[in-house]
Amino acid sequence: MRSITKLSLVVAALVLTGTALQAQTNNASITATASVQTPINVVGAQPLNFGNVFPGVNKTVAATDLTNGGRFDVTGQASTPVTLSFTLPATLSSGGNTMPIVSYTGVHALLATQVGGIAFSPAAGANPTLSATGALFVWVGAQVQPATNQVAGVYTASVTMTVVY
Amino acid sequence: MKRKWWIATLAMLLSVPLVAQARPLTVTGVRGVTFGAVLPGVPRVVLRTDPANSGQFDIKGPKGRSLLLSFVLPLRMTGPAGALMPLSFGASDAGFSQTQAIGSQVGFDPKVPFTATLPNNGRASVFLGATANAATNQRAGSYTATIILNVTVLP
Repeated sequence: MRSITKLSLVVAALVLTGTALQAQTNNASITATASVQTPINVVGAQPLNFGNVFPGVNKTVAATDLTNGGRFDVTGQASTPVTLSFTLPATLSSGGNTMPIVSYTGVHALLATQVGGIAFSPAAGANPTLSATGALFVWVGAQVQPATNQVAGVYTASVTMTVVY
Repeated sequence: MKRKWWIATLAMLLSVPLVAQARPLTVTGVRGVTFGAVLPGVPRVVLRTDPANSGQFDIKGPKGRSLLLSFVLPLRMTGPAGALMPLSFGASDAGFSQTQAIGSQVGFDPKVPFTATLPNNGRASVFLGATANAATNQRAGSYTATIILNVTVLP
């Protein structure tokens, strides 16, 4: 009788152990998906050109001047808002000589003809939307203020426009 | 003595079919993590509580048992011509729900194995969020990656 009881315990232990030690494992997978849109591309298409400047005579190039205004061409994802910001120099340089450049103006438009263009302040930036073909054109104007004793020479500086989505 | 051995052997053989009688563990990938349109240079975050875009797995198993959940997480998504886009998972980007409701989750770090308990109906869900980090010059196109959830019923 005692041996039957022991045997029953052994059997029960084996059954329970067999049940407990069988760990179940399973897995499944899902997919992560994303559709990356067209990256922004910016080209400095035309310099801001003041031409000949005379000492003591301020000269202004308007942002609406299609010939002399500085122009940036932007391409990216169609119909998507972007943010424009600028690094604007305070002076033009010629060797060790400088000439102030002030009063920046800007226009952005969906067409290179500037039709439907919108004026903005480059110092403040802008938030236009790319066209249905993913295009944007941006013009910059300013005024140079040569001193009466401005040293003759070719004066230059870089205007940088940054575009982000 | 011989009889005892026969009974013991029989018991061992019986123990396997008894396991089969317990509710089997199943894991199902219900919904992928969907980032949708991603702009270069702009991180795109999908929250685990996002009912449309978060990933979801459903689990069925033995009632009231403890589970060990562990993910196999990709570091990047693969796109056109082998282009890669980094993918990251935050410390609370995974969620376990005993009610299978997206609004009732216990958050956990998908990078660390997590122990959870199946409710009395033996059903639960795991939700997953993530962040796609598109570079400013990220090549345009469709990107994908596979996320695996391993589930083990703890003894």
